[in-house]
Amino acid sequence: MSEKGADSLRFSRNEAAPSGIIRGDAFASPVMNTRAMRAFQQRYPPKGAGTNVMNDEKAIVVRGLTFSYRGDEDVRAVKSLDFEVDRGEFVVVMGPSGAGKSTLANSLNGLIPRFIRGKYEGSVLVNGLEAAKHSVSRMAEEIGLVFQDFEAQLFSTNVKLEVAFGPENFAVPREEIAERIGKVLKTVNLEGVEGRSPATLSGGQKQRLAIGSVLAMHPDIVCMDEPTTDLDPLGKMGVFTIAKELHEQGALTLLIIEHETEEALHADRLVVMKDGEIAAQGKPGDILRDVPFTDGAGIMPLQIPKYFFELKLCEREELPLLPKEGAEFFRRKGLVLEQSRYKWLLEGDRARERHYGKMIVKAEGVSHVYPDGNRAVDDVGLEIREREFVAILGHNGSGKTTLVKHFNGLLQPTSGKVTVCGKSTAEHSIYEIGKEIGYVFQNPDHQIFAETVFDEVAFSPKIRGCPEEELAVRVREALEAVDLAGYEKKDPFSLSKGERQRVAVASVLSARPGIIILDEPTTGLDYAEQRKMMELVRKLNESGQTVIMITHTMWVVAEYAHRVVVVKDGRVLLDGATRDVFAREPELEASHLRPPHIVSMSNLLGHTLLSVEEMKYCTGGVS
Amino acid sequence: MDMFLYIDKETPVHRLDPRTKLLLMFLSFVLALSFRSFVILSSVLVAVLLYGAAGSALSNLRRIRVVLMMIASFSVVIWSVATPSDSRFLLFSLEGLLYGVMVAIKTDLMIISGMIFLSTTKIEEIAGGLVKLKLPYRGAFAFSTAIRLVPMIVATSYTIIQAQKSRGLDLDSGSMLQRIRKYVPLVIPTLVSVIRGTNVFSMALESKGFGYSDVRTTLLELRMKRTDWLTLGVALLVVAAAFFFNMDSVAYGACLFSVRSGS
Repeated sequence: MSEKGADSLRFSRNEAAPSGIIRGDAFASPVMNTRAMRAFQQRYPPKGAGTNVMNDEKAIVVRGLTFSYRGDEDVRAVKSLDFEVDRGEFVVVMGPSGAGKSTLANSLNGLIPRFIRGKYEGSVLVNGLEAAKHSVSRMAEEIGLVFQDFEAQLFSTNVKLEVAFGPENFAVPREEIAERIGKVLKTVNLEGVEGRSPATLSGGQKQRLAIGSVLAMHPDIVCMDEPTTDLDPLGKMGVFTIAKELHEQGALTLLIIEHETEEALHADRLVVMKDGEIAAQGKPGDILRDVPFTDGAGIMPLQIPKYFFELKLCEREELPLLPKEGAEFFRRKGLVLEQSRYKWLLEGDRARERHYGKMIVKAEGVSHVYPDGNRAVDDVGLEIREREFVAILGHNGSGKTTLVKHFNGLLQPTSGKVTVCGKSTAEHSIYEIGKEIGYVFQNPDHQIFAETVFDEVAFSPKIRGCPEEELAVRVREALEAVDLAGYEKKDPFSLSKGERQRVAVASVLSARPGIIILDEPTTGLDYAEQRKMMELVRKLNESGQTVIMITHTMWVVAEYAHRVVVVKDGRVLLDGATRDVFAREPELEASHLRPPHIVSMSNLLGHTLLSVEEMKYCTGGVS
Repeated sequence: MDMFLYIDKETPVHRLDPRTKLLLMFLSFVLALSFRSFVILSSVLVAVLLYGAAGSALSNLRRIRVVLMMIASFSVVIWSVATPSDSRFLLFSLEGLLYGVMVAIKTDLMIISGMIFLSTTKIEEIAGGLVKLKLPYRGAFAFSTAIRLVPMIVATSYTIIQAQKSRGLDLDSGSMLQRIRKYVPLVIPTLVSVIRGTNVFSMALESKGFGYSDVRTTLLELRMKRTDWLTLGVALLVVAAAFFFNMDSVAYGACLFSVRSGS
């Protein structure tokens, strides 16, 4: 309490309800007294009011912040970082893994250095309050933090109580909590699920609930640390829609750390971090038009400007950003798609199909009903041939993971039949089916256990009775395949997420299955790591592996998969060559999937091209 | 898969104050631990089951029926072998058998009673009730969180078992020692995941103002209503009656003891 007393201008959050007046009606409160009001106006002047020194206070001021994590003192996660955010600004921070983005986020509310210890220098002022000198719970009044892992941040019995938790801690009166719940759930679009248990919500709903539970504390700054990483395209859109609305409503300051370039366009300012420093900042459009920079900074380039930049047709300022603008620009510049080249691409697709081998996975009329009566998979028929590269798409909870777990016998169909390499999964154990088909789970931490990478990778062949001499060969091969040769003696737990993901793949490859299932292999990886991972999968596929991949990342599907199966509500909605499926944009959107920008643009131009390279290859009329 | 024990329904039992339910559970423990009479123990069991049925909590008992039966059969077998006795049929003795059945009822009774409590009381209500009983909020919250973590850990370990089985881990074969060693690939990832999960969990807690001040409001309003007092009254009466009617046997035991020591 002493921390509060020291700052007499402030008032506790339950009195601070009038903050609603500048936040639009979603947060308005009927209760307000004049003294609080005056104090409030001193602190949060309406936008554009006066030039009083006090009114000029920035939302966030970071000065010379340097931090290295305990146990890793040599590496400075952020290096004398200077960073400011204006009140009401919407800032997106991007950058590769290890750039210091999360370090920055966690230092804003004092989790660094109070919860996560290490060597800390510099200062972080949030609403004029020094983060390192106040408890995290005190800082929570000023800034709300939303984490990537939505499972771990929800803990209440039902949605209402989840939202109530924050205000309860700040001793907000019961009637007002009830009122806030109603408003917050409206804001995050979760009306009608008040009584549901958070565990029964979809991924997107969970993350929106996490945002709502933070908003209920009425912070005037909200920071979200990769809120959409684990979400399907629909869930991502939901989160960004909320962000945009909150921003438009008024003085809420918004800071979002994100990997998805396409979503960053809505921000007022884009900050790109690299190696603990700010590499560039400015209007998102300006930064994303600077293609050589985005390529170098390790963030995903925006496809449309990248394409036009590489054609070298115009000045940087002229580069269009979005598919529609791109298509117009394309026509205006008198460019055409060369029919002969497009035909050649189609011929390439067909040649690849002819090269497929015998049928290797077959599902006939497969349905799966969970004990609670939920029909997760409904009468699915699917045939996969040798050397195919199949992507399985669908929203969170569409049943795609349930379906794929039938392929290696983890689940048995309630009705129907699955055969793998001629063996029925009903008659053979997982152990036997596992010789033919390997399954890499989404989270590498769910399988890594050994003390060295060697032991981890050797686990599967060893258990299958592979002789000692051959073991070394198998491990070396597998590690070479995932580009981790020389890592044998390392402790897998000390590796980065991308490296752990590759260890997980290697530990499945070492058993030499003919088919490999990958569940979300690129989730949580940055752009360079995603590329590396997918190039690795491509290589495996080209060397004869059949690949079945579940993913939400649409550009990965477009550039790497041969065939796409879209699952919706347990049924197969679309199944065909990637080019054919991505041509059917309206149907994809109906199941909340959106092709990458370059594909959308080519669709607008009448053909379906899957990558910037293909687009360039087919472009004619460049003078 | 739903791993949570709480069953969200509107029943008379759900509407009771958590303090009442906590006390009822406590009283059932007292009864289970104090008596050896079959009549009393089985009537308490029936009463608890009826109470559970009133709270529609019996579906959760079905989920743990294997555990309940295992405990019961273990108890019966072990006691009937281990109890000292003069007359034995093979290894088993009648006194031991009876004693084993009684212990089985006692143990299962307490598990069932606890299960019904968790099935009909929200975690927040448990914490709130404990606070009303003058426990500090942090302690009450820690207790309720421990209950909440169990289903989380179960769900995580379920995924981990699937992941390792896919890699060829076969838990059903080998000698005892080999089997124990096979659990290493399950235990380590579970621990790591749980520690990582709880770390984020505690950061999220603090970021939502947990521990901001000692004064705290709650959305749920806990109030002892007339039905609560009535239920408690009836329960206390039953307990008192049980002690009263069992007095004879207690007196008898005490008498026997004094006679023996006297002679």
